[in-house]
Amino acid sequence: MSNKRILLASLIGVASLMSSAYAERRTNGLAKDVAVRHRRLLVKQRFEATPLFESTINAEFQHIVGGGLKLEYHLSDMLSIGGIGVFAKNINTKLTDRIVPTLEASPNDMTREPSQDEFTQHLNSMPLHGAAYVSVTPWYGKLAAFSQAYVAFDFYFQGGVSFAQLKNDCPQSLCSDSNPFMAKNEMTPPDNNPNNDPPLNSGSRVGLYLGGGIHVFLSDFLALDLTVRDYAFSDNPSGADYNADLCVGKNPTTGEDDNRFLHHLFFGAGVSIMFPTTVKRTP
Amino acid sequence: MKPIRMQTIKHRTRSFLIVALGVALASTSFADNKNKGGTKGAPAGKAGGGAAGGAAGSGAGGGSGAAGDEGIEIDSSGSGAGSGSAAGSGDSGTIDMEEEEKPQGSLEAELQATETKQTVKAGEVKKTPLSWKDILVVVRKPFLKVRRTELNPFTSVTMNDNMITHYGIGGEFAYYLTDVLAIGVEGQYFVHNFGEPFDLVARQARRLPTVNQYNWSAALDFHYVPVYGKFAVLDRKLVAWEVFFTAGIGAGQSEVIPRDTKYPGFTNILIEPNLGASMRFFLAKWLTINLGVRDYMFLDKFEPTDRSPTMNATASEAKDNADSSFINNIMFQIGVSFWLPTTFEYTTFR
Repeated sequence: MSNKRILLASLIGVASLMSSAYAERRTNGLAKDVAVRHRRLLVKQRFEATPLFESTINAEFQHIVGGGLKLEYHLSDMLSIGGIGVFAKNINTKLTDRIVPTLEASPNDMTREPSQDEFTQHLNSMPLHGAAYVSVTPWYGKLAAFSQAYVAFDFYFQGGVSFAQLKNDCPQSLCSDSNPFMAKNEMTPPDNNPNNDPPLNSGSRVGLYLGGGIHVFLSDFLALDLTVRDYAFSDNPSGADYNADLCVGKNPTTGEDDNRFLHHLFFGAGVSIMFPTTVKRTP
Repeated sequence: MKPIRMQTIKHRTRSFLIVALGVALASTSFADNKNKGGTKGAPAGKAGGGAAGGAAGSGAGGGSGAAGDEGIEIDSSGSGAGSGSAAGSGDSGTIDMEEEEKPQGSLEAELQATETKQTVKAGEVKKTPLSWKDILVVVRKPFLKVRRTELNPFTSVTMNDNMITHYGIGGEFAYYLTDVLAIGVEGQYFVHNFGEPFDLVARQARRLPTVNQYNWSAALDFHYVPVYGKFAVLDRKLVAWEVFFTAGIGAGQSEVIPRDTKYPGFTNILIEPNLGASMRFFLAKWLTINLGVRDYMFLDKFEPTDRSPTMNATASEAKDNADSSFINNIMFQIGVSFWLPTTFEYTTFR
C-alpha cells in the first residue's frame, strides 16, 4: 500500500512538472518584448556589408551566376548609398544546349547556318558586373511566422549606375571577317555572311541600375537580404546579326547597331552584417 | 471479505482525492505560467503591465483577471474625472466591455488609432492612480478572414519562358474555413506573345523553335497563411499584410503551334498540380491587393521534329509521336480581392 501511494504521488508530481514545462514552452519571442515600440531596428549611420549570391532570371543563351559583395552606408533610416560588385561565371541555358547539337559541325558559308563553334564562340560572358546606387527604404515593419517567429523587415528600392565587363574570345580562325561592311577589294562584294564576323560584344559597359528587395532581420546586426536587380546597358548576347543587315556591328550606312539597350535581370540572396553590431533603441 | 472491500473502496476514494488534488495543482501551475507570459508581455507600460496580464487572463479564461487586479481604480460615473469604458455605463462598480460605435470599413483608421493610442513617452514616469484606461492590451489582428469568401480577379504573366510569353486573365473564389486555411477554385484564360529569342533563333541559328501555347487552366486550390505582419510606409501609413502558400491540382489545355503552317497543330489536356507563394496587402475590410508567384507543373506534348507529307502529316499522327517534356510554367500573378461579407466582427474583447 505504501509503495502504491508513493508511486501515485510521484506520478502526480511528474505530471505537474510536465504541465509547468509545457506552459513555459508555450511562450514565444514576444514574451520578452515591449508592448509598443516604434521601429525595432534602426540603421542610421550604420555600415552594411553583404556577401551575396546572384543569378540571372530568364536568361536567353547563358545564365550568369556568381558571388560578390554589397557595401552600403545608411545616411538615415530611410536613405543610404552603396555599391555592389559581382564576379560571375556563365552557364549555357537549356535553349543553347538544344540548339548547338543540331548545328553543323564545321563552318559552311553556303548554308548561311552557323557551325557549332561559330554559335558558341559568338556568345559573350560577363565576368564582372556591379552598380553604384542610392537606396530608399520607405517601408518597414514586423511579421509573425507560424505565430512563433517575430521578425523585423524592410523593403527598399535602389537606383543608380550599372557597369559590366563583357568578354568574348572568338578566335581569328572563326571570326575572320575584319571589315564586314566593306568589300575585301573592289572586285569582290561583301560576303554577307554574319557568321564569320567578329561579335563586337566585349568590353566595358555603363548603364542604368534599378533594384528592389527586402531585409529580414535575424538579429540586431544580421539580416537576410533578397533582391531583384536590373542592370541595363548596351549588349548583344548572341554576338550574331540582330538587325538583319547580314553583318555584325554598327552599319555605317544605316547607323543601326546589333548592340542594343538590354535589361539584365538578376535575383540576389545574401546575408547583411550591420556595423556597429549594437543598435540604439527607440524609447 | 466484506471489510476488505470496504477498505478497498476507502482506499480508492483517497486515491481519487489525491489524483484530483494533483490535477488541480498541475492546472494551477499551468495557469500561473500563462499569466506570467501575459505579465511579461507588457513591461513598457510599467504601471499598467501587471494589469495587462490580468486582463489578458480574464479575456482568455473568462475568469479571475479582474479579481486579481489589486489597486486598480474603477472610475465611477459620479466622479466625473475619468471617461473610461466603465464610466460610460453609469453603473458604479460594473464594467461595460462594449466597444464604442465606430464607422465600419476603415482598416487604416483603426490601425492608426491603435498606434496613436499607445504612444510610449520617454522621460520620467508620473505615477497616477490606475484605471481601466491604463490597461495595455494585445492588438488584435486587423483583418479577419474566417468564414468569409474572397473573390479575386487577377492577371498573370510568364516568368520563365523567353520564347513565348503567356498573359493570363482569371479569377478565384476562395472560402476561408479558418483564419489561416482556405479552399478555392480558380480559372485562367491565356493569350501569348513571342519573345525576342523566338525570332533570333530562326534568323541567327536557322532553327525553328518548337513551342506550345496555353489556352486555359482551372484548379482546386488550398491556401495556408503562416506569416502576417504590418509595415509603415514613410513613417506615416500603416499597412497590414500577410504571406500565404498555395497548393492545388487542376487541368489545362495546351496547343501546338506548328512550325510549318501547312501541317495542323493539336491540343493536349494537361493535369496540372500547382504550388505558389503570395503576399496580400490589406487596404480595407473588404479589399486587398494580392501578388505572388505560382508554378504550374505538367507533362506537355510537343510537335515531333520530323513532319512531312509522309510522316506525322495529320494531327493525330503527330500527337501519337509527340515529344513529351515536363514543364514548370512559373507565372507572376497580381490582382485585387473583394471580401464577402464586406465587414466582420471580432468574437473576443479588445
